[in-house]
Amino acid sequence: MNRTSIKNKLILSFLALLLIVMVVIGAAQQITDNVITSLGISAALALAAGIIFGGIFSRSILRRLNSLSSAAKEISRGDLSREIAFLSRDEIRDLEEVFAAMVKDLREIISEIHDVSTQIEETGRHLSVQVEKVLASSREIDESALAIAKGSEAQSLIVQKTSVVLDRGLEQMDEAARHSAQTASKTNDALKKTETGEAKARETLRYLEDVLKQMVENAEPIYRLSEKVEKIKMVMSVIEELSQKTDLLSLNASIEATRAGEMGKGFALVANEIRNMAENSRNSSHQIRAIVDDIFKDNRAVTLALKKSEEDINRGRKVIHGIVGTFGEMLSGVKEISTEVQEVGVITRRQAKEMRGLLHQFQELSRLAQENFVSTQKTTIGTKNQKEEIMEIVKEAASLNVLSQKMMETQRRFRLRGT
Amino acid sequence: MDCFVFEAAGKHLGIEARYIYRIADEARVVPVPLLPSCHVGVFYYRGDLFDVIDAGQLLGNEARISNEPPYVILLKWDQKSLGLIPERIVGMTWVEEENSHGMIFTKEGLAIHMMIPENIWKRLSELPYGH
Repeated sequence: MNRTSIKNKLILSFLALLLIVMVVIGAAQQITDNVITSLGISAALALAAGIIFGGIFSRSILRRLNSLSSAAKEISRGDLSREIAFLSRDEIRDLEEVFAAMVKDLREIISEIHDVSTQIEETGRHLSVQVEKVLASSREIDESALAIAKGSEAQSLIVQKTSVVLDRGLEQMDEAARHSAQTASKTNDALKKTETGEAKARETLRYLEDVLKQMVENAEPIYRLSEKVEKIKMVMSVIEELSQKTDLLSLNASIEATRAGEMGKGFALVANEIRNMAENSRNSSHQIRAIVDDIFKDNRAVTLALKKSEEDINRGRKVIHGIVGTFGEMLSGVKEISTEVQEVGVITRRQAKEMRGLLHQFQELSRLAQENFVSTQKTTIGTKNQKEEIMEIVKEAASLNVLSQKMMETQRRFRLRGT
Repeated sequence: MDCFVFEAAGKHLGIEARYIYRIADEARVVPVPLLPSCHVGVFYYRGDLFDVIDAGQLLGNEARISNEPPYVILLKWDQKSLGLIPERIVGMTWVEEENSHGMIFTKEGLAIHMMIPENIWKRLSELPYGH
């Protein structure tokens, strides 16, 4: 676009005015020869032409400036709907274009401000709603955190109590494991003693068998002695009978010798001696019988004692057989008990290990519960701070809303396009 | 005189040796009913029948208590025969004459009541039957 500057206009106008002055001067010189008059006329005509041209030129500039001024005034009142007319192509045109661009920009800015304020208002409302939701959520979080804190505290207490119970149980299980170990050791001792007892019982049984065998062997002469004593008694009976018969015979011989009178005195002496011998024999026989009876009684007592001893030994053998059997059963039972005690010990140790692991997990759970409790406390403090911050945000949102309202009100002062 | 001494009824009794016929043992004495209780029975010995009397029960009313097999003192005199069962036989001994009380003493100082078979027979005869 071809622009014409005011300077050029002024130069052209001055040149035109100068041409006019020269024309006027020429005309005046033709009219009059008076120089001064011609000069005066020329000056007056030049002055008039200058005034006319100056007035026209200044009016043109003032009109456009006034137009801009009135537009600026309307704009200053908020009316941005006015369009700036471009009336020339000079520097004012630049001002007009800049002014129009400014108005346009301002209009866009105002429009953007309107949009922004609308968005801010909308955002403020949304923010309020969200803040309410956040507040509600925060209250719920606070309540939940409180409940979790209580739960964590209760959980921590329960876990601590359970840990204490588990610890006691663990101590009892350790004690039981120690007792099991001691019982296993004692059971092993009992097993060894039972084995020793069984071996000794078997040895005693063998010894008793030997004693019984030896006793039977030793008793044989005694039994034979008893038989011999019986035979001696029979012989003694025969001897006694013989002595009795001899006694009787000697008596009768004495009687016969007495009848024979003097002739039989010698025979009577012999018969008397025979009778004395028979009497002595009888007495000796009685003594021997008494001795044999004593021997027989003693032998009988010994035999009875031997039989009784044999019976006692047989009973003892049965008892020891029973003891050996009992020891065998005890051995089997003690072995079973030992195995079971060892199994109980293994199970108890395993249970103690598992319970120790459980206790460790409970301690970890207690630690986690305490951490949860601390976290929930922190969460409560955080939610409290969050609520305070949200309240600040609400305040800020309210301020923002007020600002947006003010912006809206300010924006309403501007008239953009015929609205 | 020779005297046969025996014990009965707790006493030492003596009978003159000439009245003694035999001393028998293992005598098979057969009881006879309705006779006095001291009459043990009858005993047959070498063709003679002897009435056997428990001397202790006859003289002292004391039954014999010895467990030894009884000897029987067989007496024979004046065509009579009698058997006495003593408590114990002492034997033959030589004694002096008896005193007025029918007692004699041996040289060992033993007091012996002398008996006569006829008196024993009389005493037995005086006993009632079945006593």
